[in-house]
Amino acid sequence: MTIADRNELRQPAYGEAHGVAWLAAELWDHLWPWAGRGQPARKAIQGAGFALAIAATVAWVLAAMGRLEAGAIIGWWFGWSVFEVIVRLDAKPYVKEGPWWGHLYRRATVMDMICYVSFKNLLIGAALFIGLRTLGIVQV
Amino acid sequence: MISLRALRTFAPRFAARLGAGIAALALSGSALADTYEVKLPPELASSPKMCDYAPCKDVMPGATHFSERKGQPPFVEAYRDEAGEQKLIGYVMLSTDITDIPAYSGKPVVTLIGMDTAGKFTGVKILKHSEPILLLGIPESALIKFNNQYLGKFVGDNIEIGKSRPEENLIGLDAITGATVTVIAQNQVMMVSGGEVAKQVGILKPVIRPQAKFPPAGPAPSWAQLVEDGSVQRLTVKPEEVGLKSDGRPYMDLWFGYLNQPTIGQAILGKDGYASLMARLKEGEHAIFIVADNSMDSFKGSGFVRGGIYDRVQVRQGGDSFTFRDLDYLNLWGISAAGAPSFTESAIFIIRGKSFSGAFPWKLVFLGNKIDKETAAKTFANFDKEYWLAAKYLEGGRPVVVKPDPTWLKVWKERAVEIGAFIVVLLALSAAYASRDKLVRRSTHKNKWPVNAFKYTGWVLSIGFVGFYAMAQPSITQVLTWFHSLLFQWKWELFLSDPLIFVFWIFIIVTTFVWGRGFFCGWLCPFGSLSELLFKVGQAVGLKRFQFHLPQALHDKLKWVKYAVFFGLLAVSFFSMGLAEKLAEVEPFKTTFLVGITNRSWPYSLFAASLLGLAIFMERPFCKYLCPLGAALAMPTTFRWFGLKRKDECTSCKACAKGCGSLAIDAKGNIDQRECMLCLDCMVFYYDDHACPPLAQERKRRTKAGQPLTPINGKGYFIPIHPAPVDKKKEGAAA
Repeated sequence: MTIADRNELRQPAYGEAHGVAWLAAELWDHLWPWAGRGQPARKAIQGAGFALAIAATVAWVLAAMGRLEAGAIIGWWFGWSVFEVIVRLDAKPYVKEGPWWGHLYRRATVMDMICYVSFKNLLIGAALFIGLRTLGIVQV
Repeated sequence: MISLRALRTFAPRFAARLGAGIAALALSGSALADTYEVKLPPELASSPKMCDYAPCKDVMPGATHFSERKGQPPFVEAYRDEAGEQKLIGYVMLSTDITDIPAYSGKPVVTLIGMDTAGKFTGVKILKHSEPILLLGIPESALIKFNNQYLGKFVGDNIEIGKSRPEENLIGLDAITGATVTVIAQNQVMMVSGGEVAKQVGILKPVIRPQAKFPPAGPAPSWAQLVEDGSVQRLTVKPEEVGLKSDGRPYMDLWFGYLNQPTIGQAILGKDGYASLMARLKEGEHAIFIVADNSMDSFKGSGFVRGGIYDRVQVRQGGDSFTFRDLDYLNLWGISAAGAPSFTESAIFIIRGKSFSGAFPWKLVFLGNKIDKETAAKTFANFDKEYWLAAKYLEGGRPVVVKPDPTWLKVWKERAVEIGAFIVVLLALSAAYASRDKLVRRSTHKNKWPVNAFKYTGWVLSIGFVGFYAMAQPSITQVLTWFHSLLFQWKWELFLSDPLIFVFWIFIIVTTFVWGRGFFCGWLCPFGSLSELLFKVGQAVGLKRFQFHLPQALHDKLKWVKYAVFFGLLAVSFFSMGLAEKLAEVEPFKTTFLVGITNRSWPYSLFAASLLGLAIFMERPFCKYLCPLGAALAMPTTFRWFGLKRKDECTSCKACAKGCGSLAIDAKGNIDQRECMLCLDCMVFYYDDHACPPLAQERKRRTKAGQPLTPINGKGYFIPIHPAPVDKKKEGAAA
């Protein structure tokens, strides 16, 4: 065990799933920051999160249509990432402990969540950005 | 140990002084940046009178006047008045007129080069560069000194960076320590620029290649077949590659091919067209065709005037370039091959240079201008595509062609032993760390040599070999460069040019995800190793009573400073990479390893010396509170796969937390992996039945009860003693 205090452990709803179902649940968990059925979450943060996510999605769509500059889409993505930290701390306040293929999760501190969201969104953002740039839609 | 009150007073002052020091460093750096990102007059790149905008006399001593730009690629002639007559004494060229080879920054070093009529370099002057390493770490005078090595050397000589090898006719130039990539690029710029002009003016003679022999024409292939076997090639330039906004079309979309080959020529032109073309060509002349469709611009060039040069396309074979004038142009009315695309612009160009051979590979080069979005300045950029006839179209097949290694590969070959040794060291230390469970079991809290032998070896090698000898200290500037490259333009060649840094980074990325940043920071970072080694030496020479660590509460606040530094640098880099590079001087790495503490101006030396001096009394102050690289690596450490072990009792027992030099064990007994340097001291405790309180307690209890001390299991406890179940059969037999 790499954690001394077992009270720090948190198990998400899908934590006991196995195989493909667990992988699919993990993927969904990475992409969907909001709480699922039966999970507590504050309505105001959920609502604001949805609104900002729609705005960020529109920003990506505008970028895909070639109507948003590279700097603007990076700014939008950064802004959304900041809010995603708040949304996740409210709705899914846990991070993986140990290897990605493991089933151990722990309570996320603010720094844990910043690290998680920034790293995940860097990968997602870079993939989308490079894709758009390769298609010649976004120019730098 | 120093009192807490003194520490509380000292720490904020220390932080404030560090901040002021960093600001002073950033400001003082600008004084060294004479040509760094300097704004050049736009006419320099476009005006026929180049020398009105460039100090041509500086690179061509004795010249009294200069011609307008001429030739392709352009150069100017330098003249001297002698007895009322003008005598040609040499040539002056602007490197960016000829080549767009980028240096470490990804941008070319704009260089003015003078060469006399005998092909010897007479002067070299840097007009503009974007090299961060020359901004602060290494004075520009080093690049000037490097360039002066070319003076008097012949353009046709085999000049490379490194040692001279007379047996190979190779002239070596001394590199600039710490700026290897920059000088390798600069050498290419010098030799390509000088070579191009020397060939135009007849100083260098073209290479004569054996001419191709073709088999008789076969059945005419379709367009698709021609494309498939490489007889027709495509060169596409995207708008963003020349700094233009996309309108859905490529900036340039060219199909091209070689027409002298009978099967291909007849497929493209038809039998009559091919015969007519061949009848027009003299011996040793060659024809190629180019068609373009739906492009944003013309490959012939809108500025082309009769009698002039087609300045947008040329053919290159080896070191020889072939440009086209109006007399080299023929109309191409149509393409016979079935399935050929429509086109809006077409041409047949005749290559008249005698050195060209259809049997050898050649390139069609599109010469463009890239527009800088911020300054609207145009810089030269070329795009090329290789063409080589398939073996079936040549009698006897393709000749053997030995292509020169790319520059990065030459560097890897030259440093193969160093690279190999470095990889072995990294793998050996990784193997040692992977065996940490065995090593810590062999150690005790009083004798940690089974672990420390490997760790100290890592420190010594990283300080001596990686830091001072190979100068491969990883830096936050590399992270910023990668981040920008990932988003904007990734060039493998750029990163491969420095093999040890490249290997080190792959190692760092892998080990950070497997074990966390602690393995690099704690075992292999040259500066971190030097810091902790100084701390250990301080301990050994009797300074232990002066050594201290900050109170946990203060440490828990100050540790965030490094993250602020990292995010600050990242944010600044989006607005100005140059400023971010300056601010990255918060890392004392350049001062310590690249330039040397005694070789830099006093603010840098004082900063690095202060950090190292403080490290004698406080364990790794820079790593804990300031290092942006450590912060960048700490973030993914959140997801490291394999952490250090803890027991349930660690929540209440503070034994190993008390000895944690990294202050990484919190009040609940959990290890903050982002702060942990993986020194393994706590893991030694974990298995030590004389140090770990729960183990020691159990040991004493068993000893008192006369029970055996069973081995300690992986969870850090003695294997429980369970009474063996009584074998009833045996019991019965005995009865």
